[in-house]
Amino acid sequence: MKSFFAITFCVLVLLSVVAWQIKPDPPPGKIPLVWVSDDNPARRQQIALFNQLHPEYDLRLDPRASTAGIEKVMLQSLAGVGPDLADAFSPSDLDAFVRSGVAWDITEELAERGVDLEGEVWPAILPTGIREDRVYGFPANVAVDAIWINKDLFDAAGEPYPEGPWTWDEFLEVAERLNVRDARGRIKQFGFLCDWWQWPQFIMLFGGHIYSEDGTRCVIDGPEATEAIQFMRDLMYEHHVMPTPVDEATMATQGGWGSGTITYFGAGKGAMALGGRWWLCTLRDYEGLNLGVVEIPHVKEPRYRAYGRATVINRYSPRREEALDFLVYEAGKDYNDLINRQADAVAAVVRYNYTPEFLRNPEHPEEDYNEVWRDVVKYGRSDDWSSFVNGQTAMRILNKQLDLIKSDQKPVPKAMRDAAREVNEEIAKTLEMDPSLRIQYYRLTGRERPE
Amino acid sequence: MRRQRHERRAALGFLLPNLIGFGVFTAGPVLFSLVISISNWHLHRTVAFQWVALRNFVELLQDRDFWLYSINTAYLMLGIPFAIAGSLLLAIVLSQRLRGIVVYRTLFYLPTFTSGVALMLLWKALYNPEFGALNAVINWWLDSLHLNELVRALGGGGVSAPTWLLSTKNMLGLDVEQIRIIPGQWGLGARDALIIMGIWIAIGGNNMLLYLAGVSNIPPELVEAAQLDGAGRWAIFRNVTWPQLAPTTFFIVVMSFIGGLQGGFEQARVMTLGGPAGTTTTISYYIYTKAFEEFQIGYAAALSWVLFSAIFVITMINWRLGGKELHY
Repeated sequence: MKSFFAITFCVLVLLSVVAWQIKPDPPPGKIPLVWVSDDNPARRQQIALFNQLHPEYDLRLDPRASTAGIEKVMLQSLAGVGPDLADAFSPSDLDAFVRSGVAWDITEELAERGVDLEGEVWPAILPTGIREDRVYGFPANVAVDAIWINKDLFDAAGEPYPEGPWTWDEFLEVAERLNVRDARGRIKQFGFLCDWWQWPQFIMLFGGHIYSEDGTRCVIDGPEATEAIQFMRDLMYEHHVMPTPVDEATMATQGGWGSGTITYFGAGKGAMALGGRWWLCTLRDYEGLNLGVVEIPHVKEPRYRAYGRATVINRYSPRREEALDFLVYEAGKDYNDLINRQADAVAAVVRYNYTPEFLRNPEHPEEDYNEVWRDVVKYGRSDDWSSFVNGQTAMRILNKQLDLIKSDQKPVPKAMRDAAREVNEEIAKTLEMDPSLRIQYYRLTGRERPE
Repeated sequence: MRRQRHERRAALGFLLPNLIGFGVFTAGPVLFSLVISISNWHLHRTVAFQWVALRNFVELLQDRDFWLYSINTAYLMLGIPFAIAGSLLLAIVLSQRLRGIVVYRTLFYLPTFTSGVALMLLWKALYNPEFGALNAVINWWLDSLHLNELVRALGGGGVSAPTWLLSTKNMLGLDVEQIRIIPGQWGLGARDALIIMGIWIAIGGNNMLLYLAGVSNIPPELVEAAQLDGAGRWAIFRNVTWPQLAPTTFFIVVMSFIGGLQGGFEQARVMTLGGPAGTTTTISYYIYTKAFEEFQIGYAAALSWVLFSAIFVITMINWRLGGKELHY
């Protein structure tokens, strides 16, 4: 028995040595860099171009799962085994990176390299990279949604293509006319496709807000926000032009790249759909799809939700200086032109969207609607967010109430009131916990700090 | 004496790697979590670290979500008796001398060694309200029995197949936001879907193997004696098999309760993300959310210790109640 254990021990030691020896190393002479972002063909091309332009580096992708947030990156970074670069997908992502100390303040470093973030990038996406006037990340792209139209389905219904600006009433009339039912009366083609998670978009379109301007209060129960969500609910249950949760499950909506509503729209199951230019990465694969784009109707002034990614450098990375080269690459012409060619949303640097190639991609001459994408970005606004509450906690609370609205179990005004109350309670808890936020809160609200 | 000392040293040498592993990876983190449960440790650096004594535990008792998710956890455990009964029945069937019994046993055990994530994705497809196989059967059944016409004729609103993972309804009519029962919530929903899936996975799993071993260990002379006394199958099961399996059943019940209280994480993560409206969020998923999404490590540690205490108390109760009833 003793010899059995001794042999087993030796074999394990030997295997460990072998594993250590065959551990994949970066190519000799190259500096390895790891970037956490969502995995898709466009991202891999962006990496390949960087490696080609900077042969001294070996940039690799650490794919971020669509359901996982930033928690993995944060924990790895705080434990000292984090990536060199990671994407923040929203202002609240950036806030979490900054408050946990993971994001490196690169204000001076970027300025030294001649990158002027505020002067070059679309203002709508700046909150994903800037916090309290300090630069932490460089926006990698910017997306502002519009309404995709399937021209063939419009033609089949004898419906003229809509042109903006238009009203929600006009939109509804068109959407209702484009609904097509099967022999059993079930809708087989929807007038309008939209993911439920687009609810912040509707709040913005109706002139509402999730948080007050200074972020000190949740105001999602305001009249405009309530009207927006009521309208979204009515699109499903009153006007029947948008899929209900059951229809959505039927479509196996997962969100993200190349799945759900995008593929459903690509397959001709909806005549109009709310989505971004980045949908083209998938829609280009559908042969013979005749597409158009029109701006989304709005209630008051045009205000569209802008979103996108900003690449942040891990403060604890031993190669953080080298990682700066990737951000400089993101600010450059090669990268931004690639983003526009790929249709991975719109280039974050404004001037690269004012080129003939952006308006007419020679590889895709049929895409004659790029001017619309550029126009809507001008009216893009970043998501409302509050530094006084954890973004994930707030979303958990809001999504619970919105789930109840979505499944038609709770009246919209009551759900919105409950959502606002619960988020405000959470803000109070956060203030109790975080003295630095407390000071900021009392400064912003002008209230007396209680003893 | 020298030999004894030598043997002791050798034993210690063999045990040491395990003890080190246990100390570093199990006992150490467990003790560490106890220590941080009395702190406000938060991954945001702006929250200064403080010792808060029992504040996390007091807050937790006032946390409505904690109670709602505890109820979800308890509700999902309703499947345990059915899973145990199913395992027992299956073990008795599979203990028969049938042709190809090894193949049957392997088939029933398949879900246990198949990836949980793969199974959950499969069940997610089965629960699709429109195209899922389950609703296809239910709809066919409703149509062929003309149940809808019957209900409408009686003045009802018709019957439709459940929307499973999309619905907050449940068999007990539990409300989503408060701890109460309301008739509007009666039906089948996401929680029931998880229970059904859990039963399916558990029936052919380790419990079945334990019962199979238990059944094969029943002395044949007891069964023969009962047969000579004229006992039928049911009488043999009630008076011989069931009492003989009592220690196995006790072990399975204890382990199932522990597993049930700790469970629900994988299902929530893969199938529902805790929704709809938090109805499939269990305590273990809530711990994950608090620690790794909301970064409140101290609070999550306190939650973990409350869960541990609940498991400990329930196991003790099981032990006190069940242990006395054991027959050998």
